[in-house]
Amino acid sequence: MNKRGPYYRYLNRFGWLCVAPAMVFFTCFMLYPILSSLYYVTRKWRGATDSFVGLGNFVRMANDRIFQQAVGHNFVYMAIQIPLMIFLALILAVILNQGIGRLRGVFRTVFFLPCVTSLVACAVLFKILLQTNGLLNNLLISGLILKEPISWLGTPFWANVAIILAMTWRWTGYNMVFFLVGLQNIDTEIYEAAEVDGATKRLQFFKITMPLLVPVILFSAVTSTSGTMQLFDEPNILTTQGGPANATMTASLYIYRQAFVINSDFGYATAMSYVVVLIAGVFAYAQMRLLGNKERKL
Amino acid sequence: MKRGLAIVFALILVLALVPGLAAQKKVTVWCWDPAFNIYSMKQAAAVYAKSHPDFQLDVVEIPDAEITTKITAGLQAGGQGLPDIYLCQDFRLEQTLQDYPKGFVDLKAAGIDFAKFAAYKVGPMTVGKGVYGIPFDTGSTGLWLRADYLKAAGLKPESYQKAMTWSEVMKLGEIVKAKTGKPLIAYENDSFDTLRIMVQSAGGQFFDDKGNLAIRTDVVKKSLEILKQCYDKGLFYTSEGWGNWVSSINNDQAAGFLNAIWMIGTVKSKPENKGKWMVVPTPKLEGIKGASNASNNGGSSWLVCAQGPNKDLAIDFLKGSWASSSPDALEFYNTILKGCGAMGTFLPSQKGSNYTAKDEFFYGNQAVYKDFAAWMANVPALRYTPNYQTMRTALFNATLLYFQGKIKTIDEAITAAENEYKQTVSQ
Repeated sequence: MNKRGPYYRYLNRFGWLCVAPAMVFFTCFMLYPILSSLYYVTRKWRGATDSFVGLGNFVRMANDRIFQQAVGHNFVYMAIQIPLMIFLALILAVILNQGIGRLRGVFRTVFFLPCVTSLVACAVLFKILLQTNGLLNNLLISGLILKEPISWLGTPFWANVAIILAMTWRWTGYNMVFFLVGLQNIDTEIYEAAEVDGATKRLQFFKITMPLLVPVILFSAVTSTSGTMQLFDEPNILTTQGGPANATMTASLYIYRQAFVINSDFGYATAMSYVVVLIAGVFAYAQMRLLGNKERKL
Repeated sequence: MKRGLAIVFALILVLALVPGLAAQKKVTVWCWDPAFNIYSMKQAAAVYAKSHPDFQLDVVEIPDAEITTKITAGLQAGGQGLPDIYLCQDFRLEQTLQDYPKGFVDLKAAGIDFAKFAAYKVGPMTVGKGVYGIPFDTGSTGLWLRADYLKAAGLKPESYQKAMTWSEVMKLGEIVKAKTGKPLIAYENDSFDTLRIMVQSAGGQFFDDKGNLAIRTDVVKKSLEILKQCYDKGLFYTSEGWGNWVSSINNDQAAGFLNAIWMIGTVKSKPENKGKWMVVPTPKLEGIKGASNASNNGGSSWLVCAQGPNKDLAIDFLKGSWASSSPDALEFYNTILKGCGAMGTFLPSQKGSNYTAKDEFFYGNQAVYKDFAAWMANVPALRYTPNYQTMRTALFNATLLYFQGKIKTIDEAITAAENEYKQTVSQ
């Protein structure tokens, strides 16, 4: 081994040949854009013209209430939607794992299906369902639950509820599949022992199932967090460009609007992207640390 | 062996380039409405194809908002993937031409006589000595009412076929609402149309002559006051997004709406409503100097992309159809007027027979085209500026919050709109 020298593995020509295509694509489509974005951050753009502003884009961001509120909306969705979705996914997974016998495969598919359909199609569908004279309002009124229709997409509160509904509908089944796999890895002997000791089903869920699934739950939380930071299609289509009155504007949507829709200001959009990446990175790091600790405890 | 490979690669490269080099007789157009501008463009192509049999037009349907983003992306990418011609909303013209000064073809230099087009349309697309587009349609507005609901409320539709003030319209709305339960006006929460129509009907502006935001005016305040009254009285059927708004109209959720002539195609797309619609003059803002019973909304124009694959053919096509005074071209303008409500702004075309024609789709066979054309004559031009789009979003957002009581007064609503405008534009 020593004859070949310590750097021998770096000189393997066949190895280089194998990774060359990937390296080329990575350089063109990842490295170059990231490096050039460092330049864009210092520019103010207006269409085909741009000028140097230094850190001006960050100063602007510090004064831009719409951007700050947009990031705030991302946090709200994170704080409400992710726990709600994970809890629902967990319950569904447990029910599918224990309760339903023969139809398990059918239900699993039904719950998983939303996340393979197109995001745009989902958003358009929800938009039709949630119209003032849409199906949901009509059902609620004929079921005597409501007297007056709810303006789902026209009032800030209900528009946010609509976004959370749409996201939950789409991603619950996806996370449920992870939990199902996790559940199948839990030894049934543990439950049998608990039953012998007189633990109820509820107690078993909270004292055995939940703790043993913590690594899977954390995995779901981490992926969902980064997904929520990038939330775009639902507020763009379902609530029409972050409406009503910017109540559902998210960071990604505002970035897109600054770049492509209202100002052609790619410099400012790039600067905001850096901040969003930073925030997502901090969250991911925190959750990874948490995940690492828990795994050691188990 | 190596040389052999090199030759093969070179051949592949050449073969890949050949179709790109070969001249094509096809012009690509992007626009958004099959019942309106796509239909009109296809009619124009038929006119040109008479004298140019090998001419081919490829109309791609892309929603209006997405056209803007696709054009922006294409221009940023140095002209990649752009069409030859695309349809641009008039309020976006100044922004587009300012942001991308080299993106579009100067059609005046290409020999088109713009004295034959309505001056208010040519203004926003003029930069220096150049004119960078071909005007398409006008957006003369009216108050669209359902005669059948008026009858159901025990009213005679004929007695409302007159110029009204907003307080008369509100009174009418209250009767219709009380008797039939239908709100009078279908209102789109995230649209600027209604407010714009009101402000322009009184000759108001949203910007001063230097292009600075100027929305703290009597006209804007009065318009917001009336809108809020209508909202509080339940005279609006509110919806979000263009699609939901159109479906609320064609699903009979409201007894009318306030918008322009180009809605003809949309209301006609529900044949069951034949004989039920009538159009009356835009309501007048009382107590405002310069108030009138006419306004304008929408309107768009054709731009030729400087980096389009077939721009020379595209220019010749526009010259031979939209900007031509030949009998065929004038007949084409006449066809699209009744065919879809596209009222052209090519002045020689405005003597066509359909300008006075009755339309059996409307209540009492109303001669709607004649009415819309008559109202159009006195509408003052609106100043768009490059920041119109930001202004309108800021203003309709503030309007909605004012409706819902989250903003208490009109002054605060205007302040909120000014703040959002400043933050978004940041200049």
